[in-house]
Amino acid sequence: MKSFVNVNPKSLDEAVAVLDRARAQGKKAALAGGGSDLLGMLKDHLVQPDLVVNLKSISGLEGVHREGERVRIGALTTLDEIARHPLLVERYAALAQAAGLAASPQIRNVGTLGGNVNQRPWCHYFRQGFPCFKNGGKMCYAVAGENQFHALFGGGPAFIVHPSDTAPALVALEAEFKVMGPSGAKIIPAEKYFILPREDVLRENVLGENEILAEVILPAAPSGLRSTYLKIRDRQAWDHAIVSIGAALEWEGGRCRKARLVLGGVAPIPWRVPNAERLLEGKSLGEALARQVAEAALAGAQPLAKNGYKVPLAKATVRRAVLSLLPAA
Amino acid sequence: MASEMRSIGKPTPRIDARERVTGQARYTGDVQLPGMLYARVLRSPYPHARIVRIDVSKAKAMPGVHAILTKENCRIQWSSGDSRNKRLLFNDPVRFVGDAVAAVAASDRHTAEEALQQIVMEYEELPFVLDMEQALAPGAPEIHPGGNLSPNNEGERAPETDQRGDVERGFAEADQVFEDVYISKHHNNAQMEPRVSVAQWEGSRLTVWASTQGISNCRRDLAKDLGLPLNQVRVICQYMGGGFGNKNQCHDFDLMASALAKETGRPVKLEFTRAEDFVAVHGRWPTKQYYKVGVKKDGSLTAIRMKAYSGMGPYRKGSGGVAGAQLYRCPNVKTEVYPVYTNMAVSANYRAPSYPQGVFGIESLMDHIAHTLGINPLDFRLKNMTEKYHDEVPYSSYGLRDCVTRGAEALGWRQKWHPPASDRGAQKQGVGMAMGYFGAGLGMSSAVLKLNPDGSLQVHVAVTDIGTAAKTTMGLLGAEAMEIPFERVSVLSGDTDRAPYSVGESGSRTTNYTGYAVVTAAEDLKRQLRELAAQSWSVAADAVQYSQGAVYMQDRPDRRTAIAEILKGNPDGLIAQATTDPKLKGVSRNSFAAHFVELEVDTETGDIRILKYVAAHDSGRILNPLTAGSQVKGGVAQGVSMALREELLYDQMTGIPLNPGYYGARIVTHGDVPDVEVIFVETADPYGPYGAKSVGEPPIVPSVAAIANAVFNATGIRIKELPITRSKILDAAPGVRLEGGRA
Ligand SMILES: Cc1cc2nc3c(=O)[nH]c(=O)nc-3n(C[C@H](O)[C@H](O)[C@H](O)COP(=O)(O)OP(=O)(O)OC[C@H]3O[C@@H](n4cnc5c(N)ncnc54)[C@H](O)[C@@H]3O)c2cc1C
Repeated sequence: MKSFVNVNPKSLDEAVAVLDRARAQGKKAALAGGGSDLLGMLKDHLVQPDLVVNLKSISGLEGVHREGERVRIGALTTLDEIARHPLLVERYAALAQAAGLAASPQIRNVGTLGGNVNQRPWCHYFRQGFPCFKNGGKMCYAVAGENQFHALFGGGPAFIVHPSDTAPALVALEAEFKVMGPSGAKIIPAEKYFILPREDVLRENVLGENEILAEVILPAAPSGLRSTYLKIRDRQAWDHAIVSIGAALEWEGGRCRKARLVLGGVAPIPWRVPNAERLLEGKSLGEALARQVAEAALAGAQPLAKNGYKVPLAKATVRRAVLSLLPAA
Repeated sequence: MASEMRSIGKPTPRIDARERVTGQARYTGDVQLPGMLYARVLRSPYPHARIVRIDVSKAKAMPGVHAILTKENCRIQWSSGDSRNKRLLFNDPVRFVGDAVAAVAASDRHTAEEALQQIVMEYEELPFVLDMEQALAPGAPEIHPGGNLSPNNEGERAPETDQRGDVERGFAEADQVFEDVYISKHHNNAQMEPRVSVAQWEGSRLTVWASTQGISNCRRDLAKDLGLPLNQVRVICQYMGGGFGNKNQCHDFDLMASALAKETGRPVKLEFTRAEDFVAVHGRWPTKQYYKVGVKKDGSLTAIRMKAYSGMGPYRKGSGGVAGAQLYRCPNVKTEVYPVYTNMAVSANYRAPSYPQGVFGIESLMDHIAHTLGINPLDFRLKNMTEKYHDEVPYSSYGLRDCVTRGAEALGWRQKWHPPASDRGAQKQGVGMAMGYFGAGLGMSSAVLKLNPDGSLQVHVAVTDIGTAAKTTMGLLGAEAMEIPFERVSVLSGDTDRAPYSVGESGSRTTNYTGYAVVTAAEDLKRQLRELAAQSWSVAADAVQYSQGAVYMQDRPDRRTAIAEILKGNPDGLIAQATTDPKLKGVSRNSFAAHFVELEVDTETGDIRILKYVAAHDSGRILNPLTAGSQVKGGVAQGVSMALREELLYDQMTGIPLNPGYYGARIVTHGDVPDVEVIFVETADPYGPYGAKSVGEPPIVPSVAAIANAVFNATGIRIKELPITRSKILDAAPGVRLEGGRA
């Protein structure tokens, strides 16, 4: 890896100032949370920063905190803590499950929520250093290549899928992201945080070079909320989602009041399927409706040569996820 | 053979288990020497290219950089890297993505790596070919002069052929003829310890700490390629972290470390990254197998023909064999194998090199034939399984039939087997089986035994123990032969200066080769003891008997004299040496196996869950059930991975491998591996020590086919191309019955 300077800021403001200064000087800076992904990328020369800003030197960025009916989760909270936290397990099951299904136990012990939602794509071409769009090049090699793990929706010009397990869960739970920048803090709904390659092919989210994700805020869990995260993976550990879904349904008197269905592994961003959500709203759920919902969720999918199997796979995933959320009789 | 075993057959923990699990074991990567430099290798980014220009001046000028080797200043041949062509450490043209072009030694790893970035390489790209059949087509890019069909053992450009009877006559006699194609992929040995080598020169004497499966052969090759007398080379490997066949002989990293150490006058450590390990060394050869099989209505076989292609990558490091047809009784058989050069990663030995892919082909096809003829696959095997080699030569010992019947019983085959795709609904259960065999070799190795005056025994053997518990086995054999407790035995191994020649842990041979020498040397020790006693008692030697650490007069078994007594006044104890090379007489020698799998396929998600796994093995007498059982479980884990997951993916446009490494190649984890019920069908083989045959490699052999056949039985989907991925199941699933069938 290329040599770099490690910076240990004591506060978020200081960290932002470091980023801002680096930008002004034309230097590249990288943020390190747990470092579980960043270090590998440094060694593979995928990122070659002049400085690494170590967020772990900032206190107060970790932990799950109740604030009234809302919950604040610091960006440095480990995936393992999120997976086990009783409040999250009980009220925001989709997030706890997603965190618990990510990567491997070792990575969950050091990997942070901030690092998880901001991780770069795991497309083989990107990770092997191909001069692809995501590496600053001029083509997406997956289009005519090995695209079995690539996008069904929202592709172009790059066809990566968003790799984060927690992201679809956070969008489904209507989380908000608190971002710190030179002009202070701003709040961005999770759904608006992630962007398609056609907006900016070099990034997966709106975060600027001098901004830091500081916190994730979960809104009050309404009564009747049930949520889940269902992940299809090839191995029982240490595998990104082939297809996944973060699903949150609110029930009232046996009917679905509100539905949020967000697919993972099928698009360059967590992929919300409003048409499928609408089918559920106001209805009581049975096998037939679940099938309709699944069909609607995958309507308009545009498979590439080798990822057509993801369409029936995602349908089964959607159907099973919503059926698993039937309200207790 | 002693009728009552003392050490053999008892579950014995590894002799070095404590050192290994407490971190005291010093592996090659742990070796640190004063003044040691670190090396890194620069590799070709192109699958086929001529080198136009190399400029190392900027790299060389970097502080901390001590030496740089390229084809311009290093012409060392790596002779075990290619049995047909002259392969150098640094080749031009480069022939695969990952071919080495330069090696740097620097004061630390990072400097060495940064120096690699500063080396200027200019290439002229050449056309390349990845596919085996395309490589043989007219007009394909020539990877070596003379074409892409690698010469056979006679040096001819012709396939390796094995033939008996007349297949055309066999097809004419058949009631039905089946034709099919099966495909297996390249995948990596994926051993835990990456490649690493530390080399140090003291004057003209070279010491290499290697991570090797065979220190003796590693020394032989190093001496040959570096032009050194054998006594000037010492190879040490005390603890080894696995290889599964890709650390036989010496490797380019051993030679590079040695050459850099010579150039710099300092010790040099060269360690590969995991990704380098996956693309730059070797994995299992991919195959494409064309079959034609003739059968009678009653299910008896009239002819088997196989024509197979094996992708060797650009260098001929392995045989390219495709084994399997021998499992069946059949009067007319012809197999032809074409080892082909391609610009993919190099292929060579990986646990049972020729077997699991060939057995996947033949055992899938036989399963298909049984199904088509309406014969239960178990009965089809019982009817047609081999009982003699080539239906002619008896086996030295034979337990295949018992493996099949006992395995079937343990799984509950007769209760569980049903016509394919019988389950209603999306989750479908099924059972599958496959047979396997593995050539159990005999050959030359040596051992030196030292019996100390206190009666303790030292076994000097050049084994390295790649995870097979070879050290433990050598100790057990010494203990058994001397009839003394295992605790009285120590094993000194892993150093060519301390032990005589041993074949190395490859070919599942150590117990049979080196173990035989240990037992033979022990016989000599006992003879010496009897003679010493006879001398001091002034009797004829044959009047003295030995048992359990003591000698006695034949007619006075109650008056025993312990070894320590006999050796009193003999400070050095006794030394015995044996070099053995047993030969087979009129028999063929194989280990056998049959695996049985019950699994569930979710036809909506493509998930495959193994519910029960039974592995029945005839490996002769089992010397240590604990470690032999571990071999079986490990082999099954690799079989599951090969069947369901692994494939080195290539970008077809650029010829670059996409998923090297544990993560990308999706090698199974503990969570993916089923519990394995191991059954040993113990036959007493007359050739192996105490009746043992080979156990290390056979467990991967039937595994892949058994899983594929169970997937067929569950779903009615016959996957003919490995791995059996979710996408293949789901692409075929729309045709699968969801209604009807059994409840
Ligand atoms: C082998 C492997 C398998 C994996 N499998 C999965 C999986 O199945 N599912 C899954 O979801 N993830 C998976 N991951 C990703 C894993 O979850 C992440 O590595 C981990 O969550 C990242 O956390 P970290 O704190 O270590 O991030 P780091 O490595 O420190 O950072 C990761 C990225 O996020 C950026 N970043 C970190 N913190 C912040 C912040 N506060 N604000 C803005 N940017 C930030 C960094 O700059 C970097 O680009 C896998 C990773 C590996 C290495």
